[in-house]
Amino acid sequence: MSQPENVKKPEELRIGVFVCHCGLNIAGTVDIKQIVEYAKTIPDVVFVKENRYTCADPGQEEIRKAIREQKLNRVVVAACSPRMHEPTFRRTVTEAGLNPFLFEMANIREFASWCHPSNPQAATERAKDAVRMAVAKARLLMPLQTIEVPVTNKALIVGGGIAGMNAALDLAEMGFQVYMLENTQSIGGHMAALDKTFPTLDCSICIEGPKMVDCGRHPNIKIFANADLVRVDGYIGNFKVKIRQNPRYVIPDRCTGCGECKDVCPIEYPNEWDMNLGTRKAISVPFDQAVPLIYAVNKDYCIECFKCVDVCGARQAIDFEQKPEEVEIEVGAIIVSTGFDVYLPYDMPLLGYGKYPNVITSMEFERLILAAGPTGGKVIRQSDGKKPHTVAFIQCVGSRDKNKYPYCSNFCCMYTLKHVVQLKEKYKEDVEVYVFYMDIRSPGKGYEEFYDRARERGVNFIRGRVSRIDEDPKTHNLVVHSEDQTLGQPIEIEADMVVLATAAIPKKGSDEIARILNLSRGADGFFMESHPKLKPLDAPTDGVFYAGACQGLKDIPASVAQGSGAAARAATVISKPKWKIEPIISVIDESRCRNVTAKCGICVDKCPYGAIKAEPNKAAQVITASCHGCGTCVAECPQDAITQMHFTDAQILAQIRAALEKDPEDKILAILCNWCSYAGADLAGTSRFEYPPSVRAIRVMCSGRVDRDFILEAFRLGAGMVLVGACHLPYDCHYISGNYKMKARTDALKGMLTKLGMSPERFRVEYVSAAEGIHYAEVITEIDADMKALGKEKIKAENAKLRPIIENMLKRKK
Amino acid sequence: MPFKNVKKDTADALTLEWLLHVKHYKLTLDKKRCVGCQICSLACPKDAIKLEKQLKAQGEKAKKAKVDIDLAKCNFCGVCDVSCPYGAIKLTLNDGHDLLLLQKESYPELVRDIKVDTKQCPKDCDECEDSCPLDLITVTRVGFDGKPVESVAALPPSQQKRVQINLAIQKEYCPTCRVCEFKCAPGVIKVRKFTEGKIAIDQAKCPGGCRDCLDVCPITGALYLSVADNKVYVNELFCVYCGACKAVCPVDEALTLKRTKIIHTPVRSGAWNKALQRLASPVDAVKELKAAGSRKAKEQVSRRFSMEEKIR
Repeated sequence: MSQPENVKKPEELRIGVFVCHCGLNIAGTVDIKQIVEYAKTIPDVVFVKENRYTCADPGQEEIRKAIREQKLNRVVVAACSPRMHEPTFRRTVTEAGLNPFLFEMANIREFASWCHPSNPQAATERAKDAVRMAVAKARLLMPLQTIEVPVTNKALIVGGGIAGMNAALDLAEMGFQVYMLENTQSIGGHMAALDKTFPTLDCSICIEGPKMVDCGRHPNIKIFANADLVRVDGYIGNFKVKIRQNPRYVIPDRCTGCGECKDVCPIEYPNEWDMNLGTRKAISVPFDQAVPLIYAVNKDYCIECFKCVDVCGARQAIDFEQKPEEVEIEVGAIIVSTGFDVYLPYDMPLLGYGKYPNVITSMEFERLILAAGPTGGKVIRQSDGKKPHTVAFIQCVGSRDKNKYPYCSNFCCMYTLKHVVQLKEKYKEDVEVYVFYMDIRSPGKGYEEFYDRARERGVNFIRGRVSRIDEDPKTHNLVVHSEDQTLGQPIEIEADMVVLATAAIPKKGSDEIARILNLSRGADGFFMESHPKLKPLDAPTDGVFYAGACQGLKDIPASVAQGSGAAARAATVISKPKWKIEPIISVIDESRCRNVTAKCGICVDKCPYGAIKAEPNKAAQVITASCHGCGTCVAECPQDAITQMHFTDAQILAQIRAALEKDPEDKILAILCNWCSYAGADLAGTSRFEYPPSVRAIRVMCSGRVDRDFILEAFRLGAGMVLVGACHLPYDCHYISGNYKMKARTDALKGMLTKLGMSPERFRVEYVSAAEGIHYAEVITEIDADMKALGKEKIKAENAKLRPIIENMLKRKK
Repeated sequence: MPFKNVKKDTADALTLEWLLHVKHYKLTLDKKRCVGCQICSLACPKDAIKLEKQLKAQGEKAKKAKVDIDLAKCNFCGVCDVSCPYGAIKLTLNDGHDLLLLQKESYPELVRDIKVDTKQCPKDCDECEDSCPLDLITVTRVGFDGKPVESVAALPPSQQKRVQINLAIQKEYCPTCRVCEFKCAPGVIKVRKFTEGKIAIDQAKCPGGCRDCLDVCPITGALYLSVADNKVYVNELFCVYCGACKAVCPVDEALTLKRTKIIHTPVRSGAWNKALQRLASPVDAVKELKAAGSRKAKEQVSRRFSMEEKIR
């Protein structure tokens, strides 16, 4: 059990305990008098006071007064949940000159009076124990200083699509320096490749182009196009970013964007930006409106005839010797707006994509109908260059498909509606249009009206999943086989052209970005936000925010809104000169760290945030500002060289010992994580779900903090049952993966204890979300029943058998 | 339709295709015309063309080396098309053979300087047609009435003078070997070779009895078998320095082949300089550059063409 030895014990402990009635909320069940009398008997407690409402001004004033007059150096408030009023009372003690971390709360409302209303005696006993546990922890509390780090007032936007551009412009307008990183040759993203936008049918590049130009011209924005993100070091407010500027073989400052080089170039290659429907020259820009308007040579295709060099002449903008360049920048916040990719259904052979020339994707259709596209806006078939007279649109290709991408791609219904309206308005009666759909999803502003518009144009909507497409090898016409759910029978439609609305999928390279920035990705592959409801723009890594489709598919208005939102979130960081960090972080005792003598690095692997570094033959080091204070490393360290401030081993063990002081065999010791299971237990209280009062709960920030030794110590002391409460797997953990680390650890421990003769039901891991108050109550009821079923004698016998082994294990640790 | 690239290898042709929605690039290697020489593989700026030696069975004639084009590397630029002395490779875009490479003057064309003066043609002479090792010449005679004439001698003398002799040469396939010129006694045909060079067989290293080079040589008379020692000798008069022989020669350095000059249309092109370095030698490439332009032009070239510095 580690405890930094350099911590001086204060001269004399003077603990004050304040017991709150909370009107009748506590006092109505718990016997406050008994609690007060009991508190007075606890060693080191020098002052006890009861209040009707401790959180109200007079109650707070009593605390301040007592600190001053009684010279209190620790304060315990026995009242509601710390999740409710801990910040309040921390402020109170600070106002009286006491360090806020010398304050501790005993939860006797949610965890006593509210959940055991029919058993006041037991509730009172539980409250007494809660006070004793809080005092036990309070004795070992240490003053901590809030950590402040300086902030670089600049931001980096990774990905220059419509979301990233909006974020960049907003931040630049606020006066911050913004760097934009774009891995293609131009910003603009998918939107720049679109013809029209739904539901207004306004021209996409006409509305996006000016924004792209604004980004290019803004004095506060610097664009790194054709560049990759190589490395990101540092932490919130202080990121050091390494960017690789890939060579264009054209010197940006000298290129005037005149395009003379393109005209003399003899080489053409498929233009990826055109979905490879058309070509571009070996020296070119992907599209005329590109920003920055700098030409680039594609050396994969260039034959180095140097015609471009000749025509560029005195401008000397072309440099075939250019090498990749690494640039280092410093920023305070990072916005990830890497967008999405379009799924190409080569692996769905029944649809014939890639096999039949007249089966295309919606994005390809977009390039065909676009006036500036490779066909000049003519929708023509590849097989014969003729205009199709019957076009079938097929929805949900890859999307909402359990075998491919189970999610809905969000915008396909709407863009298909746009395509059919465009087709109908362009070719009128000359074209017959069918749409095969599962559901038409049009929940946006003006979207349902747009659906009406499509129906009014005489488009045939057929509800049904397409099973396969066949081709007539002579005419290259296609036969679409589907079910018509409305008629309840199979249907066949012959079409000249088939357009597949394919799924939008996570951007290629997302895993690389996730690795570099330490982000996590959901089952669908999109980036996971810090909290799906309340922090939808925040990445789990502090100082990193999301904008646009990289976090989940969204259409243009939503991406624009999220871009602005992310800019505002980033500004909350970079607008400050300093950033404050809660000091409940991990600290490494260098003298104990095994990495000095051997290759260890366990903490480095287990840290969900990459906040620990271990260089060979040196003690591991915590990057203070990156540490989120989950305590997973503390529990994992084989040498007990790491301590989590405010949740030290000694403090938690003291709580365990205090909890199991009397009749341990009748008690359930619960260690609950702050964000889910403790909150769930609180909810059980607020919801007045009654459950057996045998449980004694300890709060840790994350279940990842639960050290093996805590459980062993509990059983050594004779605990009847032990429960570890965590956030649900796989994604609920507020520290990315602390619950997984805990699971691995406790699974092994449980196996061992069971082998040693312990009944398996005596040690349980349960996943309780903050919304599952009822589940918590059920779990405790179950455990209590198990405990009663096992019987005190059996538990005692098991414990007697276990104790020498556990003692041996804990001794060896020391 | 999404972009598709296709490679097909049949007995007659090797075809590579880029199928785009609106464009169709097709590169065809005519295996009948291809002699398995080295020119395309050396000229290719993308290093996409490889020659594969073909195994020969005991007692059989040597097979010409097989040309293989890597679809992943090929950029459909057309340099191979323009460079092939035998015109065996054709690049088309939407079935048209109008190369952007030549339109933009990014690469020179080989100069097939063939002059024909049919006035001096003797009566009923088909010597050139018969002599052409690649069957590229067709001689036709048309009488005063526009009808083809089978035999001039058979016509009355008054009509003989009015017979028009046409000599059609499929120039795009002609490697300018000059065989026709030498077979033509009156000197009707004048051919200038577009490749100059040197070829030699080191008889000390040449294994006796091997005729692989002779087997693959497309030009009759460029190589011949000596009756004296049963070894192959060179007749430089007809050699076009294509290197088909070198590609199959089983012994290193037994056959040396050097191209020193290639006559082409006057085009300044880095791609050509690079090709020439490989087809001839860096020294020859520099020589051409020095001869070609003014000092200013040379400076401009040397900036991009760093090899020159190294050679000096």
